[in-house]
Amino acid sequence: MYLVQHLYEQHGKVLGLELVAGRKGLCRRIQKPEVHRPGLSLTGFLKNFVNARLLVFGRNEIDYIRQLDEKTRFQRLQSILTHSTPAVIVTNLRVPKALSMICEQKGIPLFRAKATATSLLSRIAFLLIEEFSLSVTLHGTLVELFGVGVLIQGESSVGKSEAALGLIERGHRLISDDVVRVKKKEGCLIGSGPELTRHLMEIRGIGIINVAHLYGAVCVRTDKQLDIVIKLEEWDDQHFYDRVGLDEKFIDILGVSTPYHILPVKPGRDIVLLVETIALNHRLKDMGYNSAKEFNTKLLETIAQKRRKKKI
Amino acid sequence: MALKLTSKVKVKNPLGLHTRPAAAIVKMLQPLKSSVSFTYKNETINARSIMSILMLAARKNSQIVITTEGEDAEAAMRVMVRAFEEQFGEK
Repeated sequence: MYLVQHLYEQHGKVLGLELVAGRKGLCRRIQKPEVHRPGLSLTGFLKNFVNARLLVFGRNEIDYIRQLDEKTRFQRLQSILTHSTPAVIVTNLRVPKALSMICEQKGIPLFRAKATATSLLSRIAFLLIEEFSLSVTLHGTLVELFGVGVLIQGESSVGKSEAALGLIERGHRLISDDVVRVKKKEGCLIGSGPELTRHLMEIRGIGIINVAHLYGAVCVRTDKQLDIVIKLEEWDDQHFYDRVGLDEKFIDILGVSTPYHILPVKPGRDIVLLVETIALNHRLKDMGYNSAKEFNTKLLETIAQKRRKKKI
Repeated sequence: MALKLTSKVKVKNPLGLHTRPAAAIVKMLQPLKSSVSFTYKNETINARSIMSILMLAARKNSQIVITTEGEDAEAAMRVMVRAFEEQFGEK
């Protein structure tokens, strides 16, 4: 639940917000990521007025209501300030008495901001959209290797945490063990861990350990873009594991197609080295070098050459 | 035949769902095959992961929705409901 209080506490400084009236309404909910300049609704045209949006009053709005007679001014403001209005923000101008009176009476937080209405609208809209963006909690361990965000998934006891521990020992970073919160931001997936369990890992036979204390601040990170997913599986003789790497698999997370690899686990296989290699290969592919494809192209050319020679 | 069951339970432990009850839950689920998840305050987590259970920070009297799915879903649900009722062996 996102309250006006949260917006004020988290972004009040950045937006230059000053609480002027309606303090008791700080517990009001911001129901939608929408912010709006009242504009036409102040003239009495309420046909398309949508409730429950944050309202921003700029110079236009303030000048307009100032030139109304007192009775009409109160009437117009009363009609747009309702029980579902989360808050009102006035740009760097003198706040009309009528506005502060109504806000105080109805318990609607009224702020003054050190910015223009245009700038406020876009900045608050951006902040709210981020706050309301889609998120999901996934079971897995998120680590960062060579700048690549890798989500290691698999059944409990397949060795996710142990693999992550091995990677941390090799100098890579842990974002979260066992539970990863993924948020969609500007088309990308950002993974993070809950604050309560930050830096903690659960290893069977050892228990709960704090890797930041054991290995230092360099081995942890608060959040990281999720680039690839690796699923650890018990080796299954019946399953045909990818031996070429030409067909890339993808998994859908919050509508974002993410590269997906299945890694079979068997005693004697160095999972840590394999995870590192997948991450490095992904980095290489990002730079434009796809080793498997290049090899295949070269092979096709060689075959084509041989055919030409035969014809001659 | 895979069954999906849901049940509402309350946390009875005075200290809430802390490390020991969380470890007990994971231990009880080990021999069972179904997938088990807990939903608390709009957050759904995998009950086989200790860290996930701890993250919920559920205190006494919190309402949790247990979901079990799989061939032994009924057995898993029974085990879980009883465990919550018996406060995971804590006094």
